[in-house]
Amino acid sequence: MELVPVLVLNGLVWGLIVALIALGLSIIFGLLDFVNVAHGDFFMVGAVLAWLLIDSTGNFWIAFAIVPAIGLIAGSLIERGVLRPVENDASLSIVASFGLSLILQEGVRATYGATPKRILDPIGYTFPVAGFEYEVYRLFAAGVSVIVIAGFFLFLHKTKFGTWMRAVRQDREIAIAMGVPSDRIFMVTFGLGTAMAMLGGVVAAPLTSVEFRLGLDVLPLCFIAVIIGGLGNLPGTAAAAILLSVLEGTITSVAEPTTARIISLVLMSVVLLVRPQGIFTRA
Amino acid sequence: MERPIVHPAAPANAWIGPAVLAVAGVAGPLPLVDYQLIFVAEILIWGLFALSFGLVYGFGGMLSFAQALYFGAGCYGFNLATFKYGMGTWGALASGVAVAVLFAIPTGYIATRVRQHHFLIVTVILSVLTSAALTSGHWRWVAGPYVTRSLPFVPAFALGPLEFSFGDEVVAYYFTITLVAVAVWLAWRVVSSPFGRALRAIRDNETRSGLIGLDVNFLRWMMFVFAGGIAGLSGTLYVLLARYTNLEFFEWTYSGKAVVAAVLGGAGSLAGPFAGMAFYLVAAEHLSRYFQQFMIIFGVLLLIVIRFAPDGLYVASARWARESLARWLKKNAHEKS
Repeated sequence: MELVPVLVLNGLVWGLIVALIALGLSIIFGLLDFVNVAHGDFFMVGAVLAWLLIDSTGNFWIAFAIVPAIGLIAGSLIERGVLRPVENDASLSIVASFGLSLILQEGVRATYGATPKRILDPIGYTFPVAGFEYEVYRLFAAGVSVIVIAGFFLFLHKTKFGTWMRAVRQDREIAIAMGVPSDRIFMVTFGLGTAMAMLGGVVAAPLTSVEFRLGLDVLPLCFIAVIIGGLGNLPGTAAAAILLSVLEGTITSVAEPTTARIISLVLMSVVLLVRPQGIFTRA
Repeated sequence: MERPIVHPAAPANAWIGPAVLAVAGVAGPLPLVDYQLIFVAEILIWGLFALSFGLVYGFGGMLSFAQALYFGAGCYGFNLATFKYGMGTWGALASGVAVAVLFAIPTGYIATRVRQHHFLIVTVILSVLTSAALTSGHWRWVAGPYVTRSLPFVPAFALGPLEFSFGDEVVAYYFTITLVAVAVWLAWRVVSSPFGRALRAIRDNETRSGLIGLDVNFLRWMMFVFAGGIAGLSGTLYVLLARYTNLEFFEWTYSGKAVVAAVLGGAGSLAGPFAGMAFYLVAAEHLSRYFQQFMIIFGVLLLIVIRFAPDGLYVASARWARESLARWLKKNAHEKS
């Protein structure tokens, strides 16, 4: 039982990272109106790029600065080139994103290899928590997630571009009629969502082992967060991700990890049956 | 006066395709050697799996990533009957399908209550939940002692007084092709029945279908369960042929195989998923010799197909063949007169 504070703290840190990734998924859904099955793989690509950059430069902070920028550019180009032609059909868009996911996974497997690799803790300091040495880096990761999530909400509510994004989400036709450049908004939204997933990948890379299947574990977590928070409800998504991970961390302190995962999934199914619109959205 | 009910008549030559396929299927063992027969049987089994996705997606408009669940349920239903209850081939086959259907009833009920995006997410979550439960080690009586499990004997079955063994490739081939043909015939009856038509109406316009009195959720649910049974049959046939099961079969990415094949071939037709899967498996067989990560090519192909031929390659090329045949016939008739 003495592990409880550490496990809850771990759950909170991981929850904040998942919240960052799930928020990316949610903004893409909110604007482009489709579920991006490749989102977990963008997270994985972020982690892999971080590993490659650290391997070649030896510096974590270079990866931390560059990878989200790559995500923004690559995401915008993918939206324009791959998804734009099929975006009127939600099912086809999902199938397209599944094709994208295959390309990303197998592409990474072909170039980076199938063996999981690890990244050293870039900060390296620890401090005592309830008798355990806790890594400072985990707090840094949580801090980055909080700052980016808060920054994104500020961007959404305080800038012209953010207002445009909200306008297109509310009513696409009217927004276009009022002169909002919706094409550019779609590109930037997908780019931002991708950048969030990739930043999540960089931040999470030192906490886990980096391999091409990494996205497959994260995607269901994001799905759960997005469903419980309410599809397209951004603050709800972030809150649900944190809630779930803390819950799972807490259950892990009394049961095995798989049992904890199963319990949280069953809870999610119950939420879905009782409140399909999510627990943070009014019916 | 009562107006006659007009059914969109099938073209007069619609029997030609199935007849050719039937002759080719029966005559298969003549030109093919043993390992090729097994390969054809494998294509048919995975094609049936792709068809189960085609039924929910192409005919029902439900983008499901849960089909692997019912494939896996078929496999492990077979295992359960064989290892725990000592049933023979026929009993195990029936219990494989039954387990898949019984599993599809509650899971399908949960999934079909929600729409499009939620539906997709729910099917993924159900798959993750099931694989997490089965791999956790608490379900050994279902999953067996290891992640993979092999049949330690060669399955055999009795047909009246005659005994057949799967050790003979020709027997395995005829057994598989017969059951797949029965399943496809059933699927054809279902999609061309009033139920199938109602479902296509729902796919095309759910609100309108609801307003004319169709019970939308119930019909979607029933189609989901039927497709689950089809996937279960393909899983059961797979165990009989390959004598091997893996808990990986339950993972949602495994459903991706059905999605890729069905969308490439054309999910809205019965032959499309088979054509797509045949293309996929033949290409994979050849490509994997040179290039381990050949799935990249299928990812790119998927993007190209949904961009330029969203009905699928089989449907598009069949339409093209039909149209050029009609043009050619018209031209010839013109020259004669």
